[in-house]
Amino acid sequence: MSQLVTGAGAVASVGEGVDEVFRALCAGTSGLGELRGFDRERYRARHAYEIDDRPVPGADLPGRATEWLLRAVGEAAAQAGLGEDLSEVPVLVGTGLRELRSAELAWRDGTPFDIGRLHFGTALRERFRAVRTHTFSGACSASLYALALAADLLASGAEDTVVVAGVDTLTESMYGLLDRVNGEPPDRVRPFDRERRGVLMGDGAAAVVLRREEPGAGTGAGPGALGRVRAVSMNCDARHVTAPDPQGIARAVHEAQWRAGVKPGDIDLVLLHGTGTQLNDTAEAAAIREVFGPEVRGPLMTAIKSMTGHTSGGSGLLSLIVALESLASGRVPPTLGLAEPLPEAEAFRFVRDAARDGGDLRVAQIDAFGFGGVNAVAIVERADR
Amino acid sequence: MTHRPGDVVVTGVGLALPGAATPGALLRRAAAPAAGPAPEPFDTAVRIGRRGHRYKDRATRLALCAALDALRDAALIPADGEEVTVPGDTVGVVASSNLGNLDTACLTAAAIAERSAMDLSPMSLPNASSNVIASWVAIRHGLRGPNLMLCNGATSGLDAVHWGATLVAAGRVRRAVVIGVETHNAVVEDLLGRPADELLDGAAALVVEGARWAEARGVPAAAALGPYERRAGLTGCIEALLPGGAAPGVWFTPERYAERPAGAVPVPETVPRYDVTDAVGRSSGALGVLQCAAAVGWLTRAEAGKRAGGGTGSGAGDGAAFGDRAASDGGARAAPDPAAVPDPGPAAEALASVPVSAEASASASASVPVSRQALITSGDDTADAVAGLLLRPTPARCHRPPAARAPLSAMECSR
Repeated sequence: MSQLVTGAGAVASVGEGVDEVFRALCAGTSGLGELRGFDRERYRARHAYEIDDRPVPGADLPGRATEWLLRAVGEAAAQAGLGEDLSEVPVLVGTGLRELRSAELAWRDGTPFDIGRLHFGTALRERFRAVRTHTFSGACSASLYALALAADLLASGAEDTVVVAGVDTLTESMYGLLDRVNGEPPDRVRPFDRERRGVLMGDGAAAVVLRREEPGAGTGAGPGALGRVRAVSMNCDARHVTAPDPQGIARAVHEAQWRAGVKPGDIDLVLLHGTGTQLNDTAEAAAIREVFGPEVRGPLMTAIKSMTGHTSGGSGLLSLIVALESLASGRVPPTLGLAEPLPEAEAFRFVRDAARDGGDLRVAQIDAFGFGGVNAVAIVERADR
Repeated sequence: MTHRPGDVVVTGVGLALPGAATPGALLRRAAAPAAGPAPEPFDTAVRIGRRGHRYKDRATRLALCAALDALRDAALIPADGEEVTVPGDTVGVVASSNLGNLDTACLTAAAIAERSAMDLSPMSLPNASSNVIASWVAIRHGLRGPNLMLCNGATSGLDAVHWGATLVAAGRVRRAVVIGVETHNAVVEDLLGRPADELLDGAAALVVEGARWAEARGVPAAAALGPYERRAGLTGCIEALLPGGAAPGVWFTPERYAERPAGAVPVPETVPRYDVTDAVGRSSGALGVLQCAAAVGWLTRAEAGKRAGGGTGSGAGDGAAFGDRAASDGGARAAPDPAAVPDPGPAAEALASVPVSAEASASASASVPVSRQALITSGDDTADAVAGLLLRPTPARCHRPPAARAPLSAMECSR
């Protein structure tokens, strides 16, 4: 049982809208900039991948994540022909940090903010009349987790259409605590490079409309479909509250492929989680190597956090949208800043420096892992199969 | 709806609350909120000790206490251990909290402004992520199934129960522990604009399990999950769950529900009502799970009353594990006594109009009269939506002797 993606939306530091974001990534554009909303003097790291939309530079304001979410959902819904009325459609939102940035501003600075808007239901109801809204705060795999739950709703026949979204903005608490635990402060995100120094956060939102595909409806996804979700796995390491576990990741990758009915040799493209931290990249590379075995030299691999930063709970779905665009166009954006891959990833066919024409790409794998050992892996395929 | 009636049952309940150790006690406190001094805050060290918890926030510790209680009640962990006795990947976690880590986020941001990020304690890092509660529950008990954290406003607890059931119905896991937890502190009180004594400091947990997996383990079910609905308003939600104005046996109202004028009352006035927040304070994301725990207490008592009164009860011993485990609890007698409420009449005996499964095991539960079911609602007309759920007594079909250990293990490992 697979599902069709009939609409997509994206907002990120590198652009607004799926077309602009994908073009920017293929052009090797980075959203990296000096910190725009925080007091730079308070941190060792000075950079992030922010959306530059504050009316007064340096003065932060609440509700930014909610605005991006609404724009991404609006773009996806419009493309899918749903318009602005989602009153009958479940909307599942995956986020790492909700509107916690707004809560920080409200408590510390007295900035007006309604605490009832920590989750996104109220805003989605106002804009789209959406009622069946669910905010999942599942760290950095949250939006792929939401995708898995949506796929289950569609597969069971309970729903015909579900909107899945992801969003996050930097919180000062998370940025500051990451800064505290990093060794040498990173000046950019360098996934899988031996010289990587850690993660920097990024702003962004992503959304897709998922529709049930009737079995036996013929070959081809029909006009307008962007691609097909074959399967999504989700599990938990149950090992450590922040550190990843290669075994848990390997189980998630294997389960996704098993659910999708594909083998490692069928995968043409992997959108890696690739955060540029010592722990994630080593664990992810080891897990991929274990599951793929000798096929690990097969698929093209890339990690877009090298250009978008770590967009946290929204990152998995943003990678998924990029994967669908790559399958449709054959173009794969590069992993910027990757000079020398870490030993565990030496055999990987990374796309480096510049976008690459991958030829006939049919099936892609998307990884997303989060604090608490929450792992989700999606398998998607090109629409015309 | 994603599961058929009777497919998913409640096999364990756990509480970490001041002044109410069991579902029955919670129900009594909701019926007659205690006067006099407030009970002492729940001491998490008594249940989970102090070692290893120093850097966990209060919400996480409360959640661990409730989860431990529920897993033990469901016979998923041994009396003297914490690791589940079934394969870890057959168990999921769904936690719900809106306010749990607000203090870490806000206090950390303030500390950075006062000094710098380098003066922070790195031990706070896990607590900056809102899913820290669900993560720790998984780590402590080795639960490797999907691990969800709901932060969905007033309905979040009931939504979490729904997602737990959805994971089971989809075959992702065989069972899930669902936890609702909230606490209060200076940050929460300030951002909510409410004093501490109005707010919950506690947690509740349920184990929701596929009926056939509970049966295979030989574990009794305390209740079966009926339909769940999420609608724009209270009246619409209740109408969707109970078409034609059928009267449930009891109604667990939204937080601080104010009765409406005659004619606009969404549930007949003869139906007893409970607001669990009268007993434990405003409960935010914990509410729905607390309501389910109290509803289990009600179902247990009502079914016991039916049997005692010579009614057509659903079988001796039903729910025996869910009676008042603390017999010495001695709380105030509930008034109105749900088990003593007269039958609302033949009209209310109409069956809930939900799709009846072809499977006999499922239809047995779906045919429970509405008057023996508990209606649970969270959220009100000012919230994004109102969520509602029906909980039903279970038929006596989980009381066969436990299956032999060897074949059970073999089945569990077949995944």
